[in-house]
Amino acid sequence: MDKLGKRTMLLVYALIIIVPMLTVIFSTLKTTSEMYANPIGLPETLNIENYIQIFNETSMGTYFKNSVIVTIVSVFFTLFFASLIAYAITRMSPWKGGIVFGLFTIGMMVPAQVNMIPLYSLIYSLDLTNTLSGLMIVNISVTLPVAVFILTGFMKTIPKELFEACTIDGANNWQVYRRIAIPLSLPSLSATAIFLFVMHWNDLLYPLLFITKDEYKTLPLALLEFQGQYMTNYPMLFTGVMIASAPMIIAYIFLQRYFIAGMTAGSVKG
Amino acid sequence: MKLKNYLIMIVVLTFVFLAACSAGSDEASGSGDGEKEISFIHWRGEDKEVFDELITKFEEENPDITVEMTIYPSEQYQSTAQTQIRDGEVGDVFTSFPGAQFKIMDKAGLMEDLSGEGFLDNFNKDLIEAGQKDGKQFAVPYQLVFNQPVYNKGLFEELGIEPPNDWEGFLAMNEKLKENGYTPIAFPGADIGAGQLMNSMMMNNAPDEEIFTKLENGETKLTDEWWVKTLTQFKELADKDYFQKDSLGTKHDGAIALMAQEKAGMLASGSYAMASIKEQNPDMELGLLAPITVSADEAEYEGIHTTTFMLAVNSNSDSKPEAKKFIEFLSQKENAEKYANETGQHLTVNDLEYESEELKSTAHWMEKNTRFHPRYLISSADIQKAVEASIQAVIGGQDPEQAAKEAQQVVDQFVE
Amino acid sequence: MKAGKSIYLFLIPGLILYLMFFIYPTLSALFYSFTNWDGLTADFDFVGMANYVEIFTKDSIFKKAFVNNLEFMLFVVIFQTLFSLVFALMLTKNSTASIFLRALYFFPTILSSVSVAFIWTYMYDPNLGLINKLLDLANLEFLTMNWIGDGDIAIYSISAVQVWFHTGQMLIIFVAGLQGIPKDLYEVAKMEGANKWQTFRKVTWPLVAPAATIVVAYTTIQSFKAFDLIFAMTRGGPNYSTEILATLIYNTAFRSYRFGYASAESVIFMIVIAIITFTQMRLLRSRA
Repeated sequence: MDKLGKRTMLLVYALIIIVPMLTVIFSTLKTTSEMYANPIGLPETLNIENYIQIFNETSMGTYFKNSVIVTIVSVFFTLFFASLIAYAITRMSPWKGGIVFGLFTIGMMVPAQVNMIPLYSLIYSLDLTNTLSGLMIVNISVTLPVAVFILTGFMKTIPKELFEACTIDGANNWQVYRRIAIPLSLPSLSATAIFLFVMHWNDLLYPLLFITKDEYKTLPLALLEFQGQYMTNYPMLFTGVMIASAPMIIAYIFLQRYFIAGMTAGSVKG
Repeated sequence: MKLKNYLIMIVVLTFVFLAACSAGSDEASGSGDGEKEISFIHWRGEDKEVFDELITKFEEENPDITVEMTIYPSEQYQSTAQTQIRDGEVGDVFTSFPGAQFKIMDKAGLMEDLSGEGFLDNFNKDLIEAGQKDGKQFAVPYQLVFNQPVYNKGLFEELGIEPPNDWEGFLAMNEKLKENGYTPIAFPGADIGAGQLMNSMMMNNAPDEEIFTKLENGETKLTDEWWVKTLTQFKELADKDYFQKDSLGTKHDGAIALMAQEKAGMLASGSYAMASIKEQNPDMELGLLAPITVSADEAEYEGIHTTTFMLAVNSNSDSKPEAKKFIEFLSQKENAEKYANETGQHLTVNDLEYESEELKSTAHWMEKNTRFHPRYLISSADIQKAVEASIQAVIGGQDPEQAAKEAQQVVDQFVE
Repeated sequence: MKAGKSIYLFLIPGLILYLMFFIYPTLSALFYSFTNWDGLTADFDFVGMANYVEIFTKDSIFKKAFVNNLEFMLFVVIFQTLFSLVFALMLTKNSTASIFLRALYFFPTILSSVSVAFIWTYMYDPNLGLINKLLDLANLEFLTMNWIGDGDIAIYSISAVQVWFHTGQMLIIFVAGLQGIPKDLYEVAKMEGANKWQTFRKVTWPLVAPAATIVVAYTTIQSFKAFDLIFAMTRGGPNYSTEILATLIYNTAFRSYRFGYASAESVIFMIVIAIITFTQMRLLRSRA
C-alpha cells in the first residue's frame, strides 16, 4: 500500500475517534439549541452553566465519592487477596497449586449474567443491597479469577531459589511474601491494578442489581438514570459523561504507558 | 509477622468489612430524634416541581415527617421498581402502573391492604377499581388519563379539519395534513409509542373488553382478524408516511418537541403529554382525538382512559402510618386540585375544580364512552412486550400476518 | 523445598469470598434452572428439564437473541480483528507519530460503556445526530438512516460501536506481537525476493498468530458480554432486534420475574461460550 493511502486511513480512523470526543467536550459548554444548530463547532462562549446545573440538580458529588470508595477498596483488596493466592500457588506442590489455579481460572469463563440472579438473592438475603460494602465484596470476588491468573503467571517467573534462600534464612511465608514476592511483582501488580481500576470504575451491572438508593449510587448507574431525567438533552448527558470520565482521562494522560500495558495484560490474560 | 499476627489480621479485616456493612445500613435507616423519613418513588419526572411544593407543604403540616422523593424514567420504573420496593428501603409510598406491574407487586405481597382507610372516600369509587384485587384495595389510582392522540386544534381549524369518526376520514385527514407539509402523527416509536397508540387503534377492532384475557387463556390469537387488522392499519399509516421519518428512533420528548414546534398535527401518546407541550409552546390549543378504525356505525368506543399512577403503601415499610398520611394528604381536595391544575392531569379524586385550560377543554371526555386501556389488561410482561414488538415490526416494514405470527409464538409459550 | 502448612492460610480470604460470592451463585444458577422460582416469593417447585425444553421448543425470543448474538459476535470479531491488525501493521514502529496514534486509538477503551452508549446514541440519533447531519451536508442524503431505530440494521450499528470501543486495545496486543518478530526474518524474506503478501503470509502471520488467538478469543467473550452497551442504547429493541442473550436473561429475571427460567437461559449461555471459546482455541492453534 502506498504511503498516502496508509496515512489517509490512519487519519480517517483518528477522526472517527476525535470527532465524537470533541463533540462531547464542546457540547457540555453549549445550550441544547446551540448544540443542535452547530454540533461540531467551538462553543460561542465558555459557558459552564451545565456543570453548575448538574451539580445542583443531582447528587453528583455523592456518586463521585461512592465510585472513588468502591473502586479504590475493590482494587486494593482484589490485589491483596489475589497476590496472596498467587504466591501460595507458586509455593505449593505443583499438583495442589494446579488445582487451586484451575479453580480460579475456570471463573474467567463464567459471564456475569450467569450467576447474577443467585448473586442478587444472596446479597439480598445478607442485607447487603444498598450498601457500598456489598458492591465491593462482589467486585472483589468476581475479579479475583483474572487477577490470580495474571499474578500467578508473573510470580512463576520469579526464580524459586530466591524464595528458598529466604526460607533457609529463617523467614516465614509472610516475610517471604512481603520481602520477595511483592517487591518483585510490582510491575505486574501495577498493570493489574490499572486493569481492575478501569473495570471497577466503569462497571454498571452490579450497581444496577444491588443499588437503588440515591446515596449509594456510583457514577455509571447515576449516568444511566440521567437518561430519564434529561432525556435527549445531550449537553446535560455529556456533562455527566465528562464528569464521570474525568478521573480516567486525567490518569490516562499522565500514565498512558501504564494504562496501555495494564489493559493489555488484562486482556491477554483475561 | 508470625502466623498468629496473620490470623489477627484476617479477623481485623473481617471486622472492617462488617463495620462498613453496618455503617451502611445505619445510614440507610437514618432516623434521628423522632423524625420519620418516608421515601416516595414514582415515574413522573415532569411533575417534580409540583410534588416538591406539595411535599414542602406536607412537611409543614407534619413536622415530624420528611419525604424523600425519587423519580425514575417510566421505562425503567416498569422493570426495576418491584426489586427496589422489595428491599423496603425505598418506596414507603410508591406508585404502580395497572396491569402487569400491579400483578407482580401483588404476587410479591408488596402492597399493604388499604381497604377501610378513611381517605378512600375522597376518591371516585368507580375510578379506583384498577387497584383492587379480591375485593381488597391494594393501590389507589390517582390520575385519570386519556391514552389517545393529542391534536393541534388551531392547526386543524386553519386547515378546516374536523376530528373524523371513521377510518376513511382518519386517512383523509392524515393525507390533508401531509399535503400541507405537516407530519400528520408524531410517533414516539423508540419508547412509548406502540404501547400507547395500540389502545385506540384496536379498541373498535376488538370491542370485547376481555380480549387480552382471552388471548392469555388461548381463546383467541394475535393471528386472528382483530389484531392482524390493527397491524395492517398501523402499517398503512407507516407506509403512507403519516408518521414522521425514523419514527422508531424517536423518543417521547422528541415527539413532544415536533408537536410543540407545530411541525406535527397529532402526537400519539396521551393527555398526560399536554402540559409538556404547552410548556414549550404556551399559545397552542390542544384537543384529544382517537383514530376510529372502523366505519362510523360500527364504532363502539370513542376513546381510551386509564386510571394509573396508583398510590400504594409498601408492606415492608416501617413507617406505614406516615406513608398513609401522605396518601391522605394527596387525596385532599386542595392538594389534589393544585396537582391537577399544575400538571394538567385529571384525577380520580371527587369534586375537583379544574382551572387549567386543557383540563377544562378535555373534561368532556369523561362523559364519553371510553374504554379502559386494553394493554394494561395483559397480565404477562412478556406478552405485553411481544404485542408492542409486533407493532414495531410492521412499522419497520414487516408483513402484518408474519408479525402477528411471530408475536403469537411468544403468546403460545405462555398459554398452557 | 516445601513452604510449610502455613501457606494454606494465604488462600483463605480470597477463597472464602470466591467460593461464597462466585462459585456458590454459579452452582445455584444450575440448581435454580431446574425450578420454576419467580424470585419474588420463597417457594418454588422442581420442574426437571421443563425450562430447558421450553427454551428449545417454544421460546422464539431466545432463538432471536441467540441469532442476534452470533451476528453481533461475527461482525465484531471480523472487523475488530481486521482493523486492529491492519492498524497494528501500520503502527508497529515506535516513532512519535505512531506512539501518539496508538494512544489515541486506545483512548475509548478507558471510557465506561454507559458513556460510550450516550455518545453513540447521540451520533446515531436520526434527527439530531451528527452522522445523519454530516451525510446531509455531504449531499449523501440517501445514506442517512435510522441507525438504531431500524430493526434491520440496529444490531450492526451497535456492533460498530463495540468495534470503535475496543479496536485500540486489540491493536496494542498485535503491536506487542509484531514487535517481537526478529528484524532479520524480514531481511531474509526480502533477499529471497518475497513480495509484501508473501512476507506477511510466511513471516508475519505465523509469528503474529498467537496474538491473533488472544485477540479473537478475547473479542468473542467481550462481544457476548456487551450487556452494558445494549442496555444503555436500545434495551433490546426495536422488535427484539438488538436483544442478545445477556439482555434477555436480565429481562427474563428482572422484568418477567422468571428467575428459574432465566437461570436455565444463563446455563445455556455459559455452555455456548465455553463451546465457542474451545473451538476457536483449537482452530487457531492448529493454524498457527
